[in-house]
Amino acid sequence: MAVPVAERPTDTPRPGRLLGRPGRWRRDHLVGWLLIAPAMAYFIVFLLYPALAALYYSFTDWDLRTAPNWVGLANYTDLLFDGAKYPHFWQSVRVTLLYTLIAVPLTMGTALCQALLLNAIRRGSGVFRLLLFLPVVTAEAAVGAIWRWLYDPQYGLVNVVLGLAGIPRQNWLNTPGLVIPALAFIAAWQCGISMIIYLAGLKGIPASIREAAIIDGAGPVQRFRRIVVPMLRPTTFYLLVTGVIAALQVFGLVYVIFSGGGGRSVTGGPEQAGLTYVLHLYLFAFRYDAMGAACAMSFILLVFIMIITALEFRLVRQEAS
Amino acid sequence: MIRRVTSTAAALALLAGLAACGGSKDAAAATTLTYWMFADRTPQAGQVVEKLRAGFEAANKGVAVKIVKIPKDDYNTKLGTALATGSVPDAGTLDQPLVARFALDGTIKEVPAGTVDEKAFYEGALTTNRVDGKLYGLPQDHTTVGLFYNKTLVPVPPKTWDELKRVTAEIHQKDPKIAGIVVPKGDGYGGWMWPGFVAGAGGEMASVKDKKVLFDQPPAVEALQLWVDLLKSSPREITDSDKPFENGLAGMMISGPWDVANIKDQFPDLQFSVAPLPYKTEPAGNIGGENAVVFSKGKNPDLAWKWLKYLTDPANNTQLAQALGGFPSTIAAAERDAATFGPDQAAFLEQLKVARARPAVPQWIQINDEIIAPAIESALSGKATAQQALTGAADKTRTLLGWTG
Repeated sequence: MAVPVAERPTDTPRPGRLLGRPGRWRRDHLVGWLLIAPAMAYFIVFLLYPALAALYYSFTDWDLRTAPNWVGLANYTDLLFDGAKYPHFWQSVRVTLLYTLIAVPLTMGTALCQALLLNAIRRGSGVFRLLLFLPVVTAEAAVGAIWRWLYDPQYGLVNVVLGLAGIPRQNWLNTPGLVIPALAFIAAWQCGISMIIYLAGLKGIPASIREAAIIDGAGPVQRFRRIVVPMLRPTTFYLLVTGVIAALQVFGLVYVIFSGGGGRSVTGGPEQAGLTYVLHLYLFAFRYDAMGAACAMSFILLVFIMIITALEFRLVRQEAS
Repeated sequence: MIRRVTSTAAALALLAGLAACGGSKDAAAATTLTYWMFADRTPQAGQVVEKLRAGFEAANKGVAVKIVKIPKDDYNTKLGTALATGSVPDAGTLDQPLVARFALDGTIKEVPAGTVDEKAFYEGALTTNRVDGKLYGLPQDHTTVGLFYNKTLVPVPPKTWDELKRVTAEIHQKDPKIAGIVVPKGDGYGGWMWPGFVAGAGGEMASVKDKKVLFDQPPAVEALQLWVDLLKSSPREITDSDKPFENGLAGMMISGPWDVANIKDQFPDLQFSVAPLPYKTEPAGNIGGENAVVFSKGKNPDLAWKWLKYLTDPANNTQLAQALGGFPSTIAAAERDAATFGPDQAAFLEQLKVARARPAVPQWIQINDEIIAPAIESALSGKATAQQALTGAADKTRTLLGWTG
């Protein structure tokens, strides 16, 4: 598929002489394959082969140590229907859906606001861009430590700020109903990449349209609704699709927030309120010795993500207008 | 995600492979013994391990011991991938609850008869290596949790549950901003500590021999009810804060010896000490620590057992245990060196005599995390009574294990 890319530099200088020389043609092909070989090797060894192996293992009872035994669809049916064997499978599905429903709009909204503000200022936007992007490049363990402090029920800054507004103190990370909103808020704080993409989208809106709208007497709200939102539609759609996929796979954030050190095992927060799908999968793969079931979980997730993404492509408007 | 998990697995396998190939400088030695262990906790611990290794090599000419150290959090994952790819060490450290799994699927070897004198070891620690009555490993060290108490708030540590409840209530009554005790949570960690309380009321978690789940019986229900009662004078909004005991916001907490050094280091002003866990009918405790096993696919089993025997020899066991952050698993070593552990550690050492091993079933970690921990949490949060929560949990455990009792 990448062959034409490799061909182009060799055939451009003397296009006329290429025809009728099959040996040369074959050699070009060979060079092309050689050039993409490293990428292909990476793709096959680290992506394609493991994915196919995982598909095979999802039909076995593999525990990483002993030879896998073929169990057919048992992993899949047990996961979906056997509540005794996998008591928290559906809980992890619920947690993940709730997280996605809250985190994705919150992240996109925050990113759009930040991008609009950055786009509006003339000086110092570089500094703000850097500051707003920093949470993305901060090590996940540090993010976990910082936010455990911010959400601390006794000393946490979050409670202090809410206290100013008269909202009573909350025990954020230890109250089942508050865990997911608290995690989604952290995700929104880490919206830097979406912010940059929105900013690029905003820069892509021709100034002439905006000027014409001003001349026609459109106020800021009208300009936002009638120009910015429609013109950003492809950007928004891209961020929605990628954001939903990422949110359905959330793992690192939950892991660092609830691991907390001190030999504590990660079982997903109070009453499994933070047990996301991939954390559940990880526990079965590496803690409960059920790699086969974990592989099955990853394929259930794959199918689910494909369905959701297909629905998004059908139901959400993608073109700018 | 599939990609991520599988490629992580592949990458880990590769790393494990690299780790196993690294450093072949002992080419002169006729036999190389590969031993896997957790990464050193301190530089001093590394020196102790090095000294022990040199001692073994000096006593066994022509033998080189290659020690591979892996961070504790990654250890089980790496060991799993190494076993999957066949690059197996001769021997290695193994978490207590994994012994049953590895023994039953043939990954590790049974201890050959006559290798060690079983009476030389603490009963609890040795039992963590026993599966279906057979011995599969040797305890390197062992540890347990005790009652940390703030000497200013708790002048005399409680010995019994009644005293514990009284002291807890008094602390909170005197100052509502201070919690009586940090009540453990219904998570994997709380699930590990809870059996110490069940045993303190004369109960057991399960009887593997009789295939009976016992944590819905009165002693277990009473132990859980104790936690529920303690919570009344120990609000979560205080104890969920960062380091509540260390910051003087809680009168007591339940933790292990690793916290003694941490607190002394970070909170030098805190006046605290450690007492054995309060009990109802008999002193008891939970157990943790590191076992050492010999892998079936390893090349030098005889030498491996010799090495493990050397590490658990009373002459070396105290140094090793201190390096690992636990206590000697051999009685002779512990009694000889008791004084060197200092007064703060005496309570743990005392309690280890009555520490109880986890039930040796391969699914125990999952039962602990997925069934017992949520049951504890639902009782603590008031969603169910202790009896309801445990009856439900015990039934689920029976279904999972296929037991009828």
